[in-house]
Amino acid sequence: MTCDEFEAIGWDAQSNAPLTDAQRAAAAEHAVSCTHCAALADCWEATRLELRSLAQVTTTAEAPARVEMRLRQQFRAQHHTPKARRTAVVTAWVLAAAAVLVGAASWVNWRTSQNRAVALGPDPGGAHGRSVGPSFGADPQTFMADSELSDFTLLPGVWPGDTDDDAILRVRMQRGALGVLGLPVNEDRANEWIQVDLLVGDDGLPEAVRLRE
Amino acid sequence: MSIADQERDDILLRRAGKGDEEAFTLLYRRHQGALYRSALRMTGNPWVAEEIVQDVFLMLMRDPRKYDAARGTLGGFLYGVTRNRVLKHLERLPREIPLEEHHENGNGLSIVLKDASSPAIQAEKRERVERVWAAVLELPAEFREAVVLCELEERSYEEAAQVIGCPIGTVRSRLHRGRALLMARLEMLRGAPRRLNAAGVNGFESKREVRNDL
Repeated sequence: MTCDEFEAIGWDAQSNAPLTDAQRAAAAEHAVSCTHCAALADCWEATRLELRSLAQVTTTAEAPARVEMRLRQQFRAQHHTPKARRTAVVTAWVLAAAAVLVGAASWVNWRTSQNRAVALGPDPGGAHGRSVGPSFGADPQTFMADSELSDFTLLPGVWPGDTDDDAILRVRMQRGALGVLGLPVNEDRANEWIQVDLLVGDDGLPEAVRLRE
Repeated sequence: MSIADQERDDILLRRAGKGDEEAFTLLYRRHQGALYRSALRMTGNPWVAEEIVQDVFLMLMRDPRKYDAARGTLGGFLYGVTRNRVLKHLERLPREIPLEEHHENGNGLSIVLKDASSPAIQAEKRERVERVWAAVLELPAEFREAVVLCELEERSYEEAAQVIGCPIGTVRSRLHRGRALLMARLEMLRGAPRRLNAAGVNGFESKREVRNDL
């Protein structure tokens, strides 16, 4: 082996590099016979040892814990913030939709109650109330009674006629108030509260009365 | 090894892409050490190595689809990204930095020896390690990379060629030149100059020639 050949493979011969046994033996033999190459081999060995010591010092080096902390923080910011934002947007839309639904339901209810009031007839505080309720000291709470007219007693001075436009009002009054309508009253029970149905004509005046049991 | 450790990198990466923080953390812990050591040995600067490792994992976090499992392992991919960032960093630096600057900054060769030997031996060891590290850092990036891969990380020539992306012959050539430059520098730092023209290199006076050869 020549010195040039030794320089080419000498380092590898001293390490674990893939060389044949023959090459290693030739390199070792040349190092023994050539002082220059022997000095070179010593220098290589010293360098290798120093590199080993450097490798040993840095072999357990790891990135500081703060890097992991920063990365995890960044990860959370990247993945969790959009999710939270999406959730907030969805929640806001759900709340808005719920508010619209509640509003719509309230409006429908209000409209329904209005329609029902119109269908039931005029307000008790209206023409009937004015003519029947206050004048007889009746309970302001009135109801539409059933439309059966058979049990009604015509008031004195009232002629039976068309009752299509008449309305039936259920009122609570003192028995004595029947006397005002021209009906006979038992004076002993004049203060007794009774419930009667009044047949009220389209002019707002009572035409007939029916006592309720 | 726990079940989590046995999970494949690509599965963990997929989970991390869907927002699984634990999967990302596991990936980080699995690979950060090798990447950090590589960056540290190439730059000699813990701060820079830390920043590079962080950048590499931020890249992975923001765009995990950059990694293609069909082209190799995640470790190899991350190592390649780290290597590119290290080389970019080295390109921005002036080639030759006086050794004193490393010590004055306090961030260059902060070596901590952990052994039970006497303070004198520790000091001697520290001095030796600092010396060899300074010599390694003085090498041009191409030679330094070959030396770090083959001598410090003990990779085979084939592995080093795969990492660098060049033929094995190029690795051998760079390693040969790198060792010669390293020995010359070490001789100079030891203060006992010896005749070293074995590899056709006489100290650092021929560094420019070597670069031109590349």
